[in-house]
Amino acid sequence: MNTDMTSASETDTLASDAKRLSIRKMNKHYGEFHAVKDLDIEVEPGEFLVLLGPSGCGKSTALRMIAGLEEITSGEVIMGDRDVTHVLPKYRDIAMVFQSYALYPHKTVAENIGFPLKVTGVPEEQRNKAVFDAAAQVQMETLLERFPRELSGGQRQRVALARAIIRRPSAFLMDEPLSNLDAKLRGFMRAELKHMQHELGVTTIYVTHDQIEAMTLAHRVAIMKDGELQQLGTPAEVYTNPVNLFVAGFMGSPPMNFLEGNVSESGLQVGNDKIPLDGVEDGMAITLGFRPEDASVVEAGQGRFDAMVYTAEMTGDLTLVTVKHGSSILTIKMPKDFMVDYNQNVGIQFDSELSYLFSTGDGARLKANVVDS
Amino acid sequence: MSNVSNVPPRGLFARLFEPPRIGAMAPGAKFIVYTLLLAWSAFVLFPIYWLLITSVKSAADVNGGPVYIPFVDFIPSLHAWRELFVVDYADTLRAYVNSIIISLAATALAVLIGSMAAYALARIRYQPNLITILLFVLVMAAALFAIGSYGVDWRLVLVVGVGIFYFLSKAVASRVHVPLANGDILFWMISQRILAPIVVVVPIYMMFQSVRMLDTHLAIILTYAVVNLPIVIWLMYDFFNSIPKDLEESAQLDGATMIMTFREIVLPLSRAGLAATTLLVMILCWNEYLLALFLSTAKAQTMPILVAAMNAGERGILWWSMSVVIIVMIIPVVFMAIVLQRYISKGVLLGAVKG
Ligand SMILES: Nc1ncnc2c1ncn2[C@@H]1O[C@H](COP(=O)(O)OP(=O)(O)O)[C@@H](O)[C@H]1O
Ligand SMILES: [Mg+2]
Repeated sequence: MNTDMTSASETDTLASDAKRLSIRKMNKHYGEFHAVKDLDIEVEPGEFLVLLGPSGCGKSTALRMIAGLEEITSGEVIMGDRDVTHVLPKYRDIAMVFQSYALYPHKTVAENIGFPLKVTGVPEEQRNKAVFDAAAQVQMETLLERFPRELSGGQRQRVALARAIIRRPSAFLMDEPLSNLDAKLRGFMRAELKHMQHELGVTTIYVTHDQIEAMTLAHRVAIMKDGELQQLGTPAEVYTNPVNLFVAGFMGSPPMNFLEGNVSESGLQVGNDKIPLDGVEDGMAITLGFRPEDASVVEAGQGRFDAMVYTAEMTGDLTLVTVKHGSSILTIKMPKDFMVDYNQNVGIQFDSELSYLFSTGDGARLKANVVDS
Repeated sequence: MSNVSNVPPRGLFARLFEPPRIGAMAPGAKFIVYTLLLAWSAFVLFPIYWLLITSVKSAADVNGGPVYIPFVDFIPSLHAWRELFVVDYADTLRAYVNSIIISLAATALAVLIGSMAAYALARIRYQPNLITILLFVLVMAAALFAIGSYGVDWRLVLVVGVGIFYFLSKAVASRVHVPLANGDILFWMISQRILAPIVVVVPIYMMFQSVRMLDTHLAIILTYAVVNLPIVIWLMYDFFNSIPKDLEESAQLDGATMIMTFREIVLPLSRAGLAATTLLVMILCWNEYLLALFLSTAKAQTMPILVAAMNAGERGILWWSMSVVIIVMIIPVVFMAIVLQRYISKGVLLGAVKG
């Protein structure tokens, strides 16, 4: 809640002319296939909203409908106070960065960046200045005469960005703009992108399947699955308070650990150990979840349950201990100097406050908790 | 020095067929490749040489057995050139001008219409109903039959035909759907080219005869354009499809109109395809014989007809004159190829997508 307030006030001061973008009950059918289901999102003026979900869940389709590149089966798209549901893309005042960058291969960097101004009839002198300024913002001002084929992946990405920012649109739409870059460059561009959006204060919808990108970039994250919105909230909210099994499993790296089972005698039997629970009924199929960083590896018999060490990986700043219990593989984050032998029997301890209970069937979060014994 | 000692010793033959450096060709392989290329060049160029010397041979030189080298084997003379360009220059020039006009106009028409059709097929999803098409063909056939065999007034047939078609498509086609897709339309168009032209020569002849357009430029231009449309559509469809859709969508979002998108993005990127297609269609028109033979008698005669005419009459085949005509026919094609080949370069799409 706290973080939400900060981000809102932050954006308010920055973008006085930023527009609100309302997506109401938006649907897309491809014949029989229902690609986007009743999508309802209010993007605040100047907000950086990330649409997150696995590949094929309908993120691109949703973004393309907002851009006007795809027909809307039903629903509304409202920009500011203007209903643009059936307005042609060129009248929507939206700039989009495609996953492929979509640079015009026969035009130079300068011509690419200046294209949006050229087609709207901005005189050449004014245009050249704007091109230089936009290029300077992405550190491309020295490469204006190059062609896209003479640029590296990261440089192409910058040109695509410059082309998007040159005319100060009402909204930015970005479809996985960083996914073609290598890991290091991706991290760097992520920071630049965030900084730029902050400076410009333009309402932005950013599509990605990478939860780290979503966590680091977003004011708010909208998580989608099979065309349906699962949860909408700040990164902290969706991370610490997931509404269902899908969101819990999707956010976080390594992902949340899950233990499945049926409730018996008000507890979950894990091998020889029983984890006592409150708020559940006997016979319910439930999934218990806790995050790798909220647990620790202790002496056998000292934790909530025992498990066998499978591997221990040193990542630099910490040690990832993977333990096996039955068919479940669980990961625990331990300090970097933590030592443990393979195949050793250990106890797993976790914080009852920071554990989650879900109904295994529909994945819904249960109003139940682990009891400290 | 060091690379000599770094490799194991091997025989002369092995070294002959081993590249001396990375990226270089083995000496033995080089020799074989160039020998083959030379042989092939000689094979390809010899007919052209033969044309050139035949055009300056006298009848006696041709009939008296093969002679190969001018000034050595025979005394060249320009009699055939003189005959075609001084004595009969009016006929020659007319055929030449006809060929140029017809080829250019037909090519322009075919490329213009064909590339528009190809662009539509590449970018718009069509779902025509096979039943509607069949009904249309059926009603059309019945209408023509009524006019042709029973002499019913065509205006009456038109009105009744439109009515019947409308009724049938409402009654039948709206219930029975056999949807076709773009691929089907494309294949149908290509199938028009698979059909041998000889099959349609007589109907085309009769059609132009009935509208009194035989032996006119327009008749040949229209026929050539239609005959070559499938080729243009087929080739350009592939070219347009190879342009990422993202580019056009991006241009749209940047605020470009449809025309601007076409002019600024699609046209420059398909230039290579257009050049190649234009060249191909132009050559096909330039060399076409069968249709021209039927559609022209004098005024609209083209060069291929002139070539064939050298094999008519009581004097037998006039090899020397035929050679002259063929040589002057080759020149514009070579010229066009040189002009257009600089557009037919690869890699125009490099850098459009991916990192
Ligand atoms: N033109 C189309 N016709 C039919 N199905 C489509 C079309 N475009 C996308 N889809 C389907 O819609 C779903 C969502 O696609 P998309 O929005 O591209 O997913 P994402 O961007 O989240 O990976 C996918 O299952 C895809 O197969
Ligand atoms: Mg996508």
